[in-house]
This record gives sequence, structure tokens and C-alpha cells, in this order.
Amino acid sequence: MTPKQRVQKFFRREPIDQMPLFSGMGTVTIQAIEKMQVRFAQVHTDAELMGRSAMESAKLWDLDGVVVPYDMCTPAEALGRGVTLYTDVEGILYPTVPTKWANLDEASLPADFSGIFSQARMPVVDGALKYCLGYEGGRYAVGGWVLGPFTLAGQVIELDVLLKGMAKDKERVSAFLGRMTDLVIAMAQHYQSLGVDYITIREMGSGTDLLSPRMWKNLIKPNLERVFQAISIPSVNHICGSTDLIVEMMADCGATAVSVDQKNNMAQSRQKLGNDAILLGNFDPYKTLVQMEPGQVEAVIKACVEGGVDAVWPGCDLWPDVKAENMRAYVAAVRKFGGAPTPAVGRL
Amino acid sequence: MSEERVQELLKELHEGVVEYDEERVVAASKAVLDEGHNVYNAVMNGLASGMEEVGELYDQQEYFVPELLMCADALYAGLDLLKPHIDPADVGTTGAKGQVVIGSVQGDVHDIGKNIIKMMFEVAGFTVYDLGRDVPLEKFVEEQLKTDSEIVAMSAMMTTTMMGMKKVVEMIKEKNPNVKIMLGGAPVTGDIASLFGADGYAESAGNAVQEAVRMVAQLRKLQNQ
Repeated sequence: MTPKQRVQKFFRREPIDQMPLFSGMGTVTIQAIEKMQVRFAQVHTDAELMGRSAMESAKLWDLDGVVVPYDMCTPAEALGRGVTLYTDVEGILYPTVPTKWANLDEASLPADFSGIFSQARMPVVDGALKYCLGYEGGRYAVGGWVLGPFTLAGQVIELDVLLKGMAKDKERVSAFLGRMTDLVIAMAQHYQSLGVDYITIREMGSGTDLLSPRMWKNLIKPNLERVFQAISIPSVNHICGSTDLIVEMMADCGATAVSVDQKNNMAQSRQKLGNDAILLGNFDPYKTLVQMEPGQVEAVIKACVEGGVDAVWPGCDLWPDVKAENMRAYVAAVRKFGGAPTPAVGRL
Repeated sequence: MSEERVQELLKELHEGVVEYDEERVVAASKAVLDEGHNVYNAVMNGLASGMEEVGELYDQQEYFVPELLMCADALYAGLDLLKPHIDPADVGTTGAKGQVVIGSVQGDVHDIGKNIIKMMFEVAGFTVYDLGRDVPLEKFVEEQLKTDSEIVAMSAMMTTTMMGMKKVVEMIKEKNPNVKIMLGGAPVTGDIASLFGADGYAESAGNAVQEAVRMVAQLRKLQNQ
């Protein structure tokens, strides 16, 4: 069974040989980038470097799948909001969007989004995805990802305007989120057409650290439902931060799987959602792979499996500067504890 | 000038903040000024005490960040009117007279938590030097030295930018070990704050309010003693 087949069967809930080791968020690590003799800041603007860095990481750590791009700025940049790449900064910094629209009146969106795929770094992402899809004859699973409508809106318009508007200017904010939903759908369908194996929708700014469950139900859920209805390949609904109060609504959005981070009480979520739901999560990648001693990693991964996940996913992108020993311990622990059937996915 | 009227206006300011009613706060603030009441008392026991309740409502998950932001707007509506009229003697005897440098670290363009903390520092009488967001790390050090501020407050919303704060703590503590450093943001935990050598932390905008409220509440107690 190839890594790609393992992931594809996993999402179809078909028996597999072992728990797939992959994520819907970035898994690029500094060891792979150093092997390529480039800097992290360089991989965001070059399709081959981006694709190679993903594949080198997968090879290095024996991962089943990869995800590109690594930053969340590409659609905002394609809409003219620019990007800061921090090419002159030492160390690792992810690109950011430097200029957001100050209010809804300033926001200017194209009538349809088909033209954005030729803008800014969107072709770089396409090129990187194609590189990964063709790597070693398509042996590895390749994931596409798009921010959720609300989080994407926060990339192009000031977040406080958006948050206050959700209570005070509900109609206009709702209409804007509807347009963002159109953009998310256009991007997801575009990546689907390139042949990716699964799409993760990262509505990561919408946990209940920020929004009330009621607001989530009224303003976030309907848009996510529309997104997942428009995707015909396996899809993942990912939210980081506090999700215990909304995990049932997340599962009700129509995605193939739900992914949450370490703030979620996984055992309770499994109980709430039952054994048919594919649940992904939920370890803290920074704490586990950067801060901890290697000997502590196995217990973290074991706890995820015992909590009831179907595949152990980090709660966010891996911080690229992981400790090699911790990565090895993480991979070994997934192999060790991932041999048995999980609630939603059986074993051969 | 009856005590009853003072209490009435304090209640208006308090409830105006809690119910994020900017007009109500503005009207009460104007009345405080027109009727010659103690302005610092109005800020601390009206506006700040309102924000204290907002912090509790956030803690009880009755309020979330949108409500916090609207309450903050209401507080600012009053503070903008009242602050220029605060008698320095009032602040001198009971309030803070410190200076704080604040900003979101380089690589991070989120500033909601930072802005709420900034507001609470202003309420408490601090002079705030706001460096904005995506601030180069050296800028924190330069600004602290330039202003001789007692506190440096840094915010990072993402793990990916949090590491920058460690460098700033090291640079500042090396030059001036007495500077108090506060860290804020979703990925920041007590362990990380202490690992980085910081003196305090808050993990979210709501926690930031709680932390700042505790600070202001102490001042209010002193004032009321």
C-alpha cells in the first residue's frame, strides 16, 4: 500500500495497514530545507523549492502526505493586499499580509474569482502542487488547503471591523462573508481540479476563544456547509483553539472529517460524535516537537490515540525548526500505536 | 453636588460600557464634566469598573471577543472625553504614573489583544508608546531605552511568531534587568512566559482584559481606601 493509497482509503473508511502519518497543515521542517541549502523565506516564491521542501520533509520523516503552500497569504495577495516575505530577517517567519481594507466600504472584490489563479503567487502554489503530485510517480498523498470564509475575510479586512460588524452590521458582514465563501469554493474546486487527494478548510479564527457558539451557528456554519457541499473529494473541517462547544456543529457541516487542536477534549468529542465520524488531532506541535524532551513525545501521541482520533494530526502547522529526535519519536509513536483499528477506520 | 448624583453617573458609565452603549457613555461623561465631578473617579469607578464586569462576563462565556471590542469602543468614547480633564494630583496620589512600550512582534499582524491591553494601561494612567503591529524586534529595545519605560508588553497571535518575543526579552533584560515584560497571545502559556524570562502573560484578548482589570482593580482599591 502506497502512502497515497493509505490516505485515500483512510478517507473512504476502508481498512488500511496502519494509521496514515499526514496533516492538513504544513509539515515542512528545517532539516529538509537545510538539506536543500536554501532559506525558509525562499520556498514561498518558487514552485519547485516549495514542492521539493514538502517532499524532502515527507521522505526524511516517512510521512504519507504533504500540504502546500505553507503560508496563508496567497489569496489575499492575489486580491491586491500584498505580502511581506521577511527575506532579510534571520530565522523563520511566515509571510504576512501588510495592508488590509480598513472597512467594508473599501473592500473591492472581482465579480468572479476565476481570474485570481494567474495573480501573484497563485501560479507558484499550482506549480508546487503539481510537483508534489508527480513526485515519484504520484506515490504520496497531496493535500490542498484553503482558509475558511471568516478567516480569509480576516486576511483582507481588519479583523476588529469584521468582529464588531458581526454584531452591529450583520447584514453587510454576512454578505461579505458570502463573497468570501465564493472565493473559498473557487479555490477548493481549483485545487480539486489539479488532482489533490483531500482539501482542508482551515476556519481557524472562528473558535469559541473568539466567537460565541450562537454566532458560529448563524454566521460561520452556513458558509462552511456551502463550501463542503461544493467539494467532491475528501474534505476536512479544521478549527484550532476552543472547539468543545462547537464540535458537533463542525461535524454537521458536511466535511469528510473534523480536525481540532489540543484545546479540544478529544474523548468527549468522540463521545458526542460517535464512532462513524473521522476525527483528526490533536497534539500541540510546538510544545511536542520543539520544547519537549524526546522521551516525552510518545506519551503525547499515545494520549491522542487513546482519546479516539482516527489519525494523529498536529493542531497547527509544524514549527519548521523541530528537534529531529522529537520528530523521530512522533513518527515512531504513530507507527506503534496506530496499528490497531480506530473508531471510524478499520485495519487489514 | 450630591453623592447620589455621583453614584448615578458612575452607574451610567459602568452600564454604558457593559452594554456597549457609546451614546450613553458619552452623555454620562459630558455630565461628569459639565457638573464638575471628579473625573479620575469617573474613569476608575465608572469606565474601568464597567470593563471589570466585562472581563467577568468574558470569563463566564457570556461575552466573546466581538462584545469585548464593542465594550472597548464604549470605554474609549468616554475616556477620550474625560482623560484630558483628569487632575494630575488625583493620579499622583492613587494611580499609576508608569510608561509602557507595547506592540505585536514582527511577523504578526494581529493586534486585537494588544489594543485591549493598551486601552487598560491608558485607563490606569500609564503613558503608552504603541509601536503597532509587525514590529521589528530591535524596535522594542530602542523604544524602551528611548522612553525609559518600566514595562514592555508584546503580543503574538501565532506560535510561528512567538519565538521573536524570546529574543526581545533577552535583549531588554541584558540592557536593563529591571524592566517588567508582559507577553500576550494565543500561543503564550505560563511555561513559555517563564521560559522566555518574562514577568507576566495573558493568552487571549479576554485574558488580557482579566490581567489588566486586576491591575486597574488594585488601583481602584487604593483610590477608594
